[in-house]
Amino acid sequence: MTQPRGIVPTQLAIGLGVIAISAVLAFGAYRFPPEMGFVILGAHVYPFAVAAFLGAVGLLLSYQAITGGFRELADHTDGTAGVVPDGKAGAAWVTAGLLGVALLINFIGFVLAAALLFACSARGFGSRRPVRDLAIGMALTLPIYWLFNAGLGVSLPPLVNAWI
Amino acid sequence: MDILASLAMGFSSALTPINLMYGFIGCLLGTAIGVLPGIGPALTVALLLPITAKVDPTGALIMFAGIYYGAQFGGSTTSILLNTPGESSSMVTALEGNLMARNGRAGPALATAAIGSFVAGTIATIMLTLFAPLVAKLALKFGPAEYFAILVLSFTTVSAVLGASMLRGFASLGIGLTVGLIGLDSTSGIARYTLGVPELVDGIEVVLVAVGLFAVGEALYSLLYQKEEATGRHRLTSLWMTRSDWKRSVPAWLRGTLIGFPFGSIPAGGAEIPTFLSYSTERKLSKYPKEFAASKGEGAIEGVAGPEAANNASATGSLVPLLTLGIPTSATAAILLAAFQNYNLQPGPMLFETSGDLVWTLVASLYIGNVILLVLNLPLVGLWVKLLQIPRPYLNAGILVFASIGVYGMRHSSFDLLLMLAIGWGGVLMRRFDFPVAPVIVGMLLGPMAEKQLRNALSISEGDWTVFLTQPISAAFLALTLLVLLVPHLLHARGIKLHEDD
Repeated sequence: MTQPRGIVPTQLAIGLGVIAISAVLAFGAYRFPPEMGFVILGAHVYPFAVAAFLGAVGLLLSYQAITGGFRELADHTDGTAGVVPDGKAGAAWVTAGLLGVALLINFIGFVLAAALLFACSARGFGSRRPVRDLAIGMALTLPIYWLFNAGLGVSLPPLVNAWI
Repeated sequence: MDILASLAMGFSSALTPINLMYGFIGCLLGTAIGVLPGIGPALTVALLLPITAKVDPTGALIMFAGIYYGAQFGGSTTSILLNTPGESSSMVTALEGNLMARNGRAGPALATAAIGSFVAGTIATIMLTLFAPLVAKLALKFGPAEYFAILVLSFTTVSAVLGASMLRGFASLGIGLTVGLIGLDSTSGIARYTLGVPELVDGIEVVLVAVGLFAVGEALYSLLYQKEEATGRHRLTSLWMTRSDWKRSVPAWLRGTLIGFPFGSIPAGGAEIPTFLSYSTERKLSKYPKEFAASKGEGAIEGVAGPEAANNASATGSLVPLLTLGIPTSATAAILLAAFQNYNLQPGPMLFETSGDLVWTLVASLYIGNVILLVLNLPLVGLWVKLLQIPRPYLNAGILVFASIGVYGMRHSSFDLLLMLAIGWGGVLMRRFDFPVAPVIVGMLLGPMAEKQLRNALSISEGDWTVFLTQPISAAFLALTLLVLLVPHLLHARGIKLHEDD
């Protein structure tokens, strides 16, 4: 595999991101409240070690990114090199569905929110029949709802919110 | 004799109708998710963790073990018929088995994979039965210093050996350790890195991270980067193996088992190394080297038999460190550990003393599970293939719905669902740039354990750091860690590359 020379910006961003996380960890550990009593190893020591470890890894990643890119990147040179044509739209649908379920589940209840997620995801993966997908989603989530509530004792929010 | 008596007791408990049923459900589910692409054992067990609130520990753990096992069986079916490995540890099977299928020998390939898995699983379970109590007895002598050294060794192996780059493995591990830091510190009671978000005080659940990375991340990644391939499915042929098939398979099964079990039982991360090792061994030893994929042959049956056996044996082997030391060596094992912890059971040497009946019932259920899986997989293989007809949109949408239920069901928090989505996008980034995922899970689970052992060890030694080097066992583990850091370089130099087992 031939490595392109020079700086790879996205990879450099990842390296710098890792360094940033390390900095946040170190800063956070520095600001922990003082501990009482006799302490052998304070609550900040291990986080500092993790921060140092991440910092070193981030530096090395950044170094690789500015000297031709990460080493040994597997098989992204072939079929998976770029985003597939409908990929972004599909990912957007799935993201929207998941966002929707997170924001709506407490209001419209589990069955409807999950059915909506089902329809959105199916749309993202190429289905073009929203009504049918919603129906299938309901057919899937209703029994799950019943199973979780009755069988497993995991109570999910009801079909519609109780006060509606 | 002691072991035999305990095992007999385990069998009598595992053969009760209710436990048999849990075992059967586990095997059924495991095979199904093994066959289906996009959903693996780690994710499935993670999603089923809520049942630990309702089902008794024995039943639940039998079921989870069945899922873990079954996925290894089912994965080979997809690899052979579709050339898309359902699990990444069946990549070799995909190579050689698919070649056989293309040349009209799908049946024997499936048969040797299933029977080989059964033989390897059973032999490996016997080894587990014999060795686990010994390891547990040995581990009873371990103090905090030894545990800390073992944990360091596990961290290193899981991140250094998997994936193409040790550096990126360590980056994943660092992220995992960071996630593990979030929440209340058990020793000092200080809330660390919660950023003022109340939901974070309890820490981030391993299930949440696993589901985010494996379900959401995987779905988004496949949408963004994977072209839909029109892979033709191969027709099933008669499952009968010829006399020569048997003659070539049996030694390969045995060799695969012998390679797989030890690799599974040391913290060396997943079933990848043994499967590849077994494959290259079979290629060297075979009397028909021309049939192997590398020589553009028609597919050699040894190349399916050996790696499949190694794969299964290492899955069983990985239960040894999990049960005796409480150390998971793969993402699935890490989730199993979380399941134990949900029952307030801490796997480790004491588990054999305090919950002996549970351990032995679990071990007995492994023997039974292997038989169930053989029956489920061989005669019913046609049925499983039908699962592949589920349209891709519905399969993925279903996985995402289950993922959301699993995460939301834990504590009814919308915040968790948002976090799952964010972690999913993080997973896309990781997949894109080839960061292995398993070290994140292992790191977040073992990180807090390591910190606790470190503190205990230093308390005992009154702050003397040399304790890790002066105690022989701990020093040996640390030396082994150094070795692990060097070995991948040697492997790379010989052109062997390893991939991740999820």
